[in-house]
Amino acid sequence: MRIIIGYGNSLRGEDAFGVDVISLLQKKKLKDTKLLSQYQLTPELSLELLEASEIIFIDALYGTDNYALACDITNNQNANLSHHIGPKVIIAMLNNIYNRYPKFQIYSMVTNQFDIIKNKKEYNRCLNLIASYLSK
Amino acid sequence: MEKRKLVIEPVTRIEGHAKITIDLNENGKVDDARIHVTQYRGFEKICEGRPYTEMPALTARTCGICPVSHVISSTKACDNLLAVRPPKAARNIRRVVNLAQIIQSHALNFYHLSAPDFVYGFDASPEDRNIFKLMQTNPDMAKDGIKLRAFGQKIIEQLGGKRIHPEWIVPGGVSHQITNEQRDNILSQIPEAMDIAKRTLKYFKNNIHKFKKEIETFASFPSLFMGLVNKKGNLEHYDGFLRFIDANGNILENGIDPTFYKDYIGEAVEKDSYLKSPYYKPMGYPEGMYRVGPLARLNVANRCGTPEADEEFDNFKNLNNGKPVLNSFYYHYARIIEIIHGIEKIEAILREPKTMGDNFRSRAKINRERGVGCSEAPRGTLFHDYEVTKDGIITGVNLIIATGNNNLAMNAGVKQVAQEFVNGSNITDGALNRVEAVIRCFDPCLSCSTHAMGIVSSAIEIRDHNKKIIDVIKRS
Repeated sequence: MRIIIGYGNSLRGEDAFGVDVISLLQKKKLKDTKLLSQYQLTPELSLELLEASEIIFIDALYGTDNYALACDITNNQNANLSHHIGPKVIIAMLNNIYNRYPKFQIYSMVTNQFDIIKNKKEYNRCLNLIASYLSK
Repeated sequence: MEKRKLVIEPVTRIEGHAKITIDLNENGKVDDARIHVTQYRGFEKICEGRPYTEMPALTARTCGICPVSHVISSTKACDNLLAVRPPKAARNIRRVVNLAQIIQSHALNFYHLSAPDFVYGFDASPEDRNIFKLMQTNPDMAKDGIKLRAFGQKIIEQLGGKRIHPEWIVPGGVSHQITNEQRDNILSQIPEAMDIAKRTLKYFKNNIHKFKKEIETFASFPSLFMGLVNKKGNLEHYDGFLRFIDANGNILENGIDPTFYKDYIGEAVEKDSYLKSPYYKPMGYPEGMYRVGPLARLNVANRCGTPEADEEFDNFKNLNNGKPVLNSFYYHYARIIEIIHGIEKIEAILREPKTMGDNFRSRAKINRERGVGCSEAPRGTLFHDYEVTKDGIITGVNLIIATGNNNLAMNAGVKQVAQEFVNGSNITDGALNRVEAVIRCFDPCLSCSTHAMGIVSSAIEIRDHNKKIIDVIKRS
């Protein structure tokens, strides 16, 4: 099964990118795909990912090149463990604790806007691009 | 040697952003050390002008880690504005959710934030002393942490609709009753959760002998302690009365209605931190330093009030011959005892017939112009204090967050550890890690607790006697 996780704070402008992609994907009937909308990634989320053969993380990524799309997990800086964590830790948990080795990818929209959606047209373009790519 | 200042920034494996400064004197010895909270939230101002009905949801946004605690205290403040006491079913369900929050938060602190120090020791290299290594060498321990946290989070999700920022606890009670299916589902998970909690306790007790020096020096000093207790003087997390004790266990204040907290707690503001410094008013600032949280709660309580937790509570009390335990390293021990208590209490509440009652919300209009809500959050006593117009529009807010209560003690602890372990001529990573680890004992949530105005600090620095920065140490 493929699990797509969109995460972010829906009250914080473009930080909601991942959550909004999930909302779009919910309107499409994707086969063998589970959609998860999360405020943040937490350790116990790993329990819901045990059945995944492929995991796709969708997030907003802080940067200055606004509305660029990235798909490199090394760009995701949140490797430290706290009450919320980054994709790297989730994958490490699946590998080391549960002996699960799903394929994984991360899709990020670069933004420095965490208060508002600054450019609705560009934001929607990114949403649709990711959603249509994942719907193929 | 000239005076120097050593700065550790950011402080890692805590919630929020902070830095530590360590001032070295001419001989390279630690002169002073302080924790500076460098983020500002400002919820007390943000809330002004909003209807009181929005306060539980609004203040829950103070934190993505312990939102339930804010919802609980906020709705209690709103209950107070309405002058209603929620029905028994609502109070019981709120208790369950509050305990679930405490369990999941304690589990994460123990297993994932602090366990790397316990397993590998404080002098292990940073490459080894982290969660990734823990997952490789002790996967069962990491798995236990995830399961115990999931136990608490799933209760919150089942009852509150979602794990983070649940919106089901409302002024006057809760928005819907608990179903038999939900109750049975939670009850079915109790045995496994208890097994994990007992394994954790065993691990801690089997390994505590390795940390004799840390126990002696990690914020180990006389202070006051504050916490809620019930009518019997036992451990209480949702309701009850404030109790202050001194370092010898003498009760200074007892049976205080939290509504009158301002008669006993003053709030000081330091110029170099956004974190308030509350203190016990009769003793003044800073002499009125007190501690809150798991260690304080067990110190002020007569008993836990549940059998398994009480068995361990006796051992806890014996650490200092019945007197308050003064070593903050034992916050970790107290957390495990509270996890056991929480699991037992959740089961007991869910088996009470009244919990399933269909009267779960009291309704009223504004009957008071000021309302105070108080509960025990994972990290300590939490106060929400609202003033409203007769139409229920918020005109004033005062929040005393659990972590803030511990600010003076955390600072004293940082200084104590720095003086014990940091040598200006040979600053080791193990020493710096201990300076951070003493803060981790308190499990501070800085995101929650920074509402006071102050001056922004932004680095961990070493400064000379002229306050000139001569070194900055970055840790990640």
